[in-house]
Amino acid sequence: MSQIPCDNCRQSLVLFIDNEIDDSATFNEIAFHLQECDECRNQLETERRALNLIRTLLSRSCCETAPSTLQERIAHQLHELQLQELAGYTQTEIITQYRRTEITIDGETQIEIETSHEIRRDFPF
Amino acid sequence: MAITLDLMPTEISTPDSSSAGELVRVDRDKESAAERTKRFERDALQYMNQLYAAAMRYTKNPEDAQDLVQDTYIKAYNSFHQFEPGTNLKAWLYRVLTTTFINTYRKDQRRPQTSDSELEDWQIAEASSHTSDQGKSTEDVVLENLPDSDIKNALAEIPEEFRMAVYLADVEGFSYKEIAEIVGVPAGTVMSRLHRGRKQLREKLTDYARERGYVKGGAK
Repeated sequence: MSQIPCDNCRQSLVLFIDNEIDDSATFNEIAFHLQECDECRNQLETERRALNLIRTLLSRSCCETAPSTLQERIAHQLHELQLQELAGYTQTEIITQYRRTEITIDGETQIEIETSHEIRRDFPF
Repeated sequence: MAITLDLMPTEISTPDSSSAGELVRVDRDKESAAERTKRFERDALQYMNQLYAAAMRYTKNPEDAQDLVQDTYIKAYNSFHQFEPGTNLKAWLYRVLTTTFINTYRKDQRRPQTSDSELEDWQIAEASSHTSDQGKSTEDVVLENLPDSDIKNALAEIPEEFRMAVYLADVEGFSYKEIAEIVGVPAGTVMSRLHRGRKQLREKLTDYARERGYVKGGAK
């Protein structure tokens, strides 16, 4: 297999670590390059360590438990919905839907068009 | 290039690799309302803590986070017949959560959106090399010593779109494609948000470490 340049490998390192390279030929090229090139392999390890650190820190600190009052509220609400369903009640939900269209003309100027409209849905269907 | 963001929930078709507990085939046409409710309680309620932690990142306060999770479960319950058994329920619930947040909680605070122009490869390479330049092991140790409150604050300070992408990828472990479906944007946009978000988070964390005197010199 022919070697790809280091630049190509570096550009794809984050995707490689995230396991987001779908094309198997590209994946193999990078894996092969990493096998052969110490510098890129060191870079891979540095990137991987930095990313793992972020993941560890976030998982460690962002792990709140739902308060018991919330669990009770949801259980109560589901019970109510079941009763309504059994009684054949319907309820209407009104959803406002936003659409945002982004248009880039020259790669710099960005135009955003925003529209919204309402949808009514009856439950149970 | 025109990107249209449709914020309504649709079916998420990604196969469920995370929970092996749903191997039982469900025939939704023959299922009674009571059976469906039971299935909802068994399969969906187990994600309440995770959804609550995510809602805390979205809304930044416990009251709104609780309301958001409650609304999410009501919507999910009412639409549960649309969920295709055997596909990724966790991703589906996250989509309901995210859509509800965007449509309800953010409606009144229309702030300017972060520019979402997609990154070129060289920009990603530059962004990531920037991340890794700071990735020296001594600094890793320093950041590990930061209190949880600093980490939560740092994440809360980066723009909403970036925060969602980082949280969904690096805490929940969703793929770019799954995040694209949850948030309702193209995968390329997810990628650029994620890379920028990680970079900004890293910078914020370093700032916090500096403020605490963990890092010498270069005070902000």
